Amino acid sequence: MNDNYEYILKTEHVSKKFGDLEVLKDINLSVKKGEVICIIGPSGAGKSTFLRSLNQLEKITSGKIFVRDELFLHRENDHTVDKLPREKQQQLLLEMGMVFQRFNLFPHKTVLQNVCEAPIVVKKEKKEEVVARAKELLERVGLSDKADAYPSRLSGGQQQRVAIARALAMNPEIMLFDEPTSALDPELVGDVLQVMKELARSGMTMLVVTHEMGFAREVADRVLFMADGIIAEEGTPEEIFTNPKAERTQNFLSAILDA
Amino acid sequence: MNDFSLKKYPKQIITAAVILLIVVVLAILKPGEQELLSRTSPEMQKLIEADQHSSRKRVTVTYNSLLVINYASLSTSGAKEMSEKYVGFLGNVYPADEGPAKIAGQMVNYTYRMLGVKENLMHGAKLTILLTTLTVVFGILLGTLLALGKISKRKILSKLSGAYIFFFRGTPLLIQMFVVYFTVPGIFGFAWRDLFNASDAEAVYKGAFLAALIAFSLNSGAYCAEIVRSAIQSIDKGQFEASKALGMNYAQTMSRIIIPQSIRRMIPNVSNEFIMILKDASLVFAISLMDITTISKNIMTSEGSYLVFIPALVIYLVITAFFGFIFDKIEKKFSVYE
Ligand SMILES: Nc1ncnc2c1ncn2[C@@H]1O[C@H](COP(=O)(O)OP(=O)(O)O)[C@@H](O)[C@H]1O
Ligand SMILES: [Mg+2]
Repeated sequence: MNDNYEYILKTEHVSKKFGDLEVLKDINLSVKKGEVICIIGPSGAGKSTFLRSLNQLEKITSGKIFVRDELFLHRENDHTVDKLPREKQQQLLLEMGMVFQRFNLFPHKTVLQNVCEAPIVVKKEKKEEVVARAKELLERVGLSDKADAYPSRLSGGQQQRVAIARALAMNPEIMLFDEPTSALDPELVGDVLQVMKELARSGMTMLVVTHEMGFAREVADRVLFMADGIIAEEGTPEEIFTNPKAERTQNFLSAILDA
Repeated sequence: MNDFSLKKYPKQIITAAVILLIVVVLAILKPGEQELLSRTSPEMQKLIEADQHSSRKRVTVTYNSLLVINYASLSTSGAKEMSEKYVGFLGNVYPADEGPAKIAGQMVNYTYRMLGVKENLMHGAKLTILLTTLTVVFGILLGTLLALGKISKRKILSKLSGAYIFFFRGTPLLIQMFVVYFTVPGIFGFAWRDLFNASDAEAVYKGAFLAALIAFSLNSGAYCAEIVRSAIQSIDKGQFEASKALGMNYAQTMSRIIIPQSIRRMIPNVSNEFIMILKDASLVFAISLMDITTISKNIMTSEGSYLVFIPALVIYLVITAFFGFIFDKIEKKFSVYE
């Protein structure tokens, strides 16, 4: 695999339509290895759709997606123009972990089984090795004592930390977070953010859609403000939070910070 | 894990224990077979005695025992016809030639015959339960394949599954069974009974049973397909997305994540389907299988006993209640994670 790349992930002119509704319009983004990027913006801006387009949960309408500088997918008007061979795509997709707003843990499997499932089934790794790694990950997210519990017995915050451990078990290079704390009671948000901060510090490349401005300010290298399917403003946390240029950003931030 | 601990189900345990105790006590107090037969008239005694030393039996003895009650009927044919009937219950033997004892005796005898107590699996309640259970098992397997076909993105598969389901739900099971039993061997030139050993006296029954089982399973597959499909589609979309995001392919997602979660949601509907099949199983009387319904009809015809259908209904109800209980337990077992 190509280890000498400039951008671990890059999009060019990505657009996405649901029928006549154009949800993403010409999104250009380049991500370097180890970068932490927070995406903020009003509901309906297309933030989730963008993340989901990156790991192919949605098929883009037009545009190019590069992974490690290689053209991963090129589509125009809902037709694939060019792409990597399927196997290679699958392999690169495994490098992208995703954490959902609503956790999406497997309810019929215990916490440990949730974490071990994909490495064993998809990567065909040895069970003992996976279990050992899974236990370390659960320790890291502070849930060693819940290994044998079913997800329904956990609080939302605990479930989300399991979901993070589950994604990390695949040893991804990039982690995508789609509003990971939005479904949580306020008092449970802190533990999840703590785990994410620790992950950011460890050098993980992260794309985080979030409404937690404190978190974005603290850990983001870059903040994107999305509205109406475009990246309306982009900059360091300092630039965006203290000195937003676009009027939409100013309105959005004052609305959020007043709330 | 002991799912039947006293703490969790105090009422059920106590009720079951009380019923069991009563049954055991009644069963112990029930007179034995010898006690029943020794109550017969002196003349009958003599004939029985004589029969023991002769190879030609003149007395036909029927003895039926049902847990707490038993029944004996002795009859002779020939020059001097005699018939005596007795019912044993709670330590007493009652002559059963008339009145309530006669009816009680008949009920015991009919129930005994409809249950097929001393018979093999091709008779009575045993046949009904065997056919129903096997049908549900095959129906679910076939239904799962059909459901996966129906929700498949491949148009042809989806259309074919849809057509299958439409056909089997849109035509009567009775005619489907006739087609399997008469039409198929007619076209392909074989007989169902020939699939079994010719020296087997039950080959006819076994052949008919196989035909019924095939027709029932094909039919139930169509109904189970809808049950499985709606259960799969009731699973949160997030489960598919999480599986895909973790790199699992369609087969892995279905077999490891979606179907295991669907099973619990299917159980109440499968339980209904089971009861429907149990009742539909009475249709096998049309191809002369000796199930509960056929036996009751035969008793009605040969003995003119219109009361026979009451124990028939009771037997169906008891089977329904028993399997309803089992499905309840299975559902609880699958609910551990909720
Ligand atoms: N599967 C879909 N089909 C049709 N419209 C969709 C679908 N998913 C999202 N949308 C629409 O796309 C827009 C952007 O949605 P989303 O990406 O979820 O925004 P955000 O995450 O920023 O709140 C919304 O108007 C939403 O209704
Ligand atoms: Mg969203």
